[in-house]
Amino acid sequence: MAGTTKQSKPMTALLNEQSELSAFDASAIPKQLRSVLDVEKVSTLTLVKVDPLAILKIVKHARESYPTSVNGQLLGLEVDGVLEVTNAFAVPTQPGSEEDMTNYQIEMIQCLREVNVDSSSVGWYQSTRLGDFMQQPLLDVQASYQISPNNSSVVLIHDTSKSEQAGNLSLRAFRLSQVYQDLAKNGKFTTKELADKGLTYGNILEELPIQVETSALSKVLLSELQWPTNAEQELLESLQRPSSFNSKLRAKRMADRSAISDDTESSDALDNNLSGLLPTRPTAYLSRPMCTNALDLSQSLNGSGSLSRQLEAISELIDDHIHDANQWMYWKRGEAKENNRRQQFVQRKATSNAARVARGEQPEPELSEKELDRMFKTLPEPSRLDALLNTANLNLLTKGVTQSRGPALTKMFMAQALQGSE
Amino acid sequence: MSMLNLNLPTLASSLVKSGATTTATTTAQQCYVHPVVLFSILDHYLRRNENQERVIGTLMGVRSDDGRVVEIRSCFAVPHFETSDQVEVYVEHHQSMLALHKKASAREEIVGWYSTGSKLSKYAALIQDFYSREAAPFGAVHLLMDTDMTDGQLGVKCMQGSAIGAGAHPENCLFLPLPHELQYPDAELSALQTAADSVETEEGASVLVSDMEQLEKSIEELRAMLERVTTYVQDVCTGKSKANTVIGKYLMDMLAVVPKVDTKQFSTLFQSHLQDILMVAYLTNLTRAQLNIADRLQRIV
Repeated sequence: MAGTTKQSKPMTALLNEQSELSAFDASAIPKQLRSVLDVEKVSTLTLVKVDPLAILKIVKHARESYPTSVNGQLLGLEVDGVLEVTNAFAVPTQPGSEEDMTNYQIEMIQCLREVNVDSSSVGWYQSTRLGDFMQQPLLDVQASYQISPNNSSVVLIHDTSKSEQAGNLSLRAFRLSQVYQDLAKNGKFTTKELADKGLTYGNILEELPIQVETSALSKVLLSELQWPTNAEQELLESLQRPSSFNSKLRAKRMADRSAISDDTESSDALDNNLSGLLPTRPTAYLSRPMCTNALDLSQSLNGSGSLSRQLEAISELIDDHIHDANQWMYWKRGEAKENNRRQQFVQRKATSNAARVARGEQPEPELSEKELDRMFKTLPEPSRLDALLNTANLNLLTKGVTQSRGPALTKMFMAQALQGSE
Repeated sequence: MSMLNLNLPTLASSLVKSGATTTATTTAQQCYVHPVVLFSILDHYLRRNENQERVIGTLMGVRSDDGRVVEIRSCFAVPHFETSDQVEVYVEHHQSMLALHKKASAREEIVGWYSTGSKLSKYAALIQDFYSREAAPFGAVHLLMDTDMTDGQLGVKCMQGSAIGAGAHPENCLFLPLPHELQYPDAELSALQTAADSVETEEGASVLVSDMEQLEKSIEELRAMLERVTTYVQDVCTGKSKANTVIGKYLMDMLAVVPKVDTKQFSTLFQSHLQDILMVAYLTNLTRAQLNIADRLQRIV
C-alpha cells in the first residue's frame, strides 16, 4: 500500500512569497553555521543527525495510525554535508485537496517559526507496515523535494511494528541516487538504458547513516527517566501494590493503547525491573532499563504475526515478478518476430532486384529505413521501472526476514538454556 | 460574613460561580504523560527568545469519560510576553495551532497548559483561568517543568487549579498537586533507548544499531541484573544483608512466571521451531540470490 502525498509547488517558494525580506547582520551568525548562508552551494550529504524530539513525534504519529501509513514534514538545517533534523510535524491524511495540504504546511511552518523552530523543510517522513516502501509515489515525492528547495532532502522511513517487536528503533534515511534522477528526467526505463547507466534495484535509493544527537538538557531528562533519584522508595511502593506479575504484563499491553480504561489501579505498568536491588554508585547502573522488548520471546515465536504477513507479501511479490518477466519476454518475442519478418522482406527485395537486373529491367528503388519502419511496426519496450520497484521491494522484504531470524534463533537458544537450568 | 470556598479533589463535581461565568469542573485524579511532551517542552525552552525567562504552551490529550483520568499526548508552544505588571498570551497563535492540530489528530483536545521554571509565575492563576475556559467542562491541568534544576533534577509536577477565597475571582487559584505517571508505549521505548545510548557517549551522538546488536546489549544488561540479584540473595542467605520480605515475595513471583514445560515436549517444540527458522532463512536467501542473478542477466541482454 502506498502512502500517497501530493506536493504541488515547492514549499519554500510559497513561503518566500509571503514573507518579507529584512536586512540582517551577517556577523551575528556563528562561524560553524556560516556555510548555511551560501545558497548556491551544492553539498553532498554524508550524515543525518536527528533530534530525539523529531523521532518521538514521528514514532507517536506512526503508532497512532497504525496500520495505515502516514507521513509528515521534517524541519531542520543542513550544515556542511550533515543534515540536522530538529523537529517534525504530522500532515493530516485526508487533506481534501492539494491546496489544503500546502496551506496546512505553510501555516504550520509559520506558526512554528513564531516560537523559533527551524522553519526550513529538510525532507519528509513516512511510516511503513511491512517494510516494502518502494513505491512510485514515494519516488515522485522525493524527486520533487530534491529538485527544490534544495538537493539535501531526505525521506525517513519508520517501521512501527518492527520497532516494537525487535526493541530496536527502525528508522532509515534515503535519498534518490543520481543515477535514478538522470533516468527519471528522460522517463525512459528500457533495458538498454538501465544497463548503460547501471541502475539496479539496489541503487535507486541511497541510504544515509543516522545519528541521534541530544542536547544537554535532553540528556538530563533521559538520565532522569532512567535513574530516578527517589528510585528506591518508588520501587518498594510499586512492589507492594496488589498486583501479580500477570496483571503487570496485562497492564503493560494496555499502556500501548491508552491509559484511559475502567480500572485505573493497574497503572504501574512500566516496571520492567526484575531486580529490587540498586547497587551504589559510581559504577554505572540502570535501575530501570529502557526497553527490554528485544528479549521478548513470545513475539518472535509467534509465527502468526508479522512473519507470516511478510512471507505472504513476499510470495505475492514473487508472483508479480514472474508476471513482469513473462510480459517482457512476450514483448521481446514479438519484437524478434517483427525484426525477422523485416529482414526477410528486405532480402526478398534484394533477390528480386538482382533477378530483375539480370533480366535487364530497372531495379526497384530500395525502401528507406523510415518506410520499413512504417511497414513493420514494433511496440516500444514496456517500462522496466515497475519491475525494478517490485524487485527492490522483494529485496527489502527478504532482507528484513533474514535479519530477523538471527535474533529469533538466539532467543530460542536462550529459552533452551533457561529450560535446561530448571 | 466571610466564607472560605475550597474545592476538594474527592468531590465528583462542584460548581464554581464567578461573576461572569459558571463553570462546572470535574476534577482529575490521575494523569499520564507521554515522553514526547517532555521533550517538546525542553525544546521550546531551549529556543525561547532572549529576554524570556519562562515559556508556556498548550497541552493536548484525551480524558476518560468522567474526567478522572487525563492522558497528555502532545503539546504545542504558545508565545507569551510577561512583564512585572502584565502578561500577554498570543491567543490567535493558540487558536490557529489548535485548528491545525485538530486536523492532524482529531481525537485530541485541550487538557491544560504547561510552563517552565521552578515555581509558579505570578500570572499562573490568570492563565489557568483562560485554559479552564478552553478545556470546559473539565478543569485544566497544569504541568510545571523545573528547568532551573533546583534539587539538581528536572522535576515534573502536575497540578490542577481550584478556586479559593471569599468570592471565586480568576486571580485566586490554589494549585493542587496531581499524581502523574510517565507512560511509554513500546515503540517510543525503543526510540528512547536509542536516544539514551547517546547520553553515555562523549560527543552526545548515538548511532542506530542493528537488531542483533540491540539484542546483545539487552542480554548484557540482563546478565548484569541477574548477577546483582544472585549476589543479593546469597548475601541474605549467609546473613550479610537484611532480608526484605517485599523484595523476596516479588522475586518468588517472578521466578514462578517461567513456564514449566515437559522436557520431551520442549525439545520437540524447540526442534520444530528451529527447523522453521532455518527454512525461512534459507528460502529468503534463495529468493535474494535469484533476484540478483535475474538482475545481472537482464543487463547482459
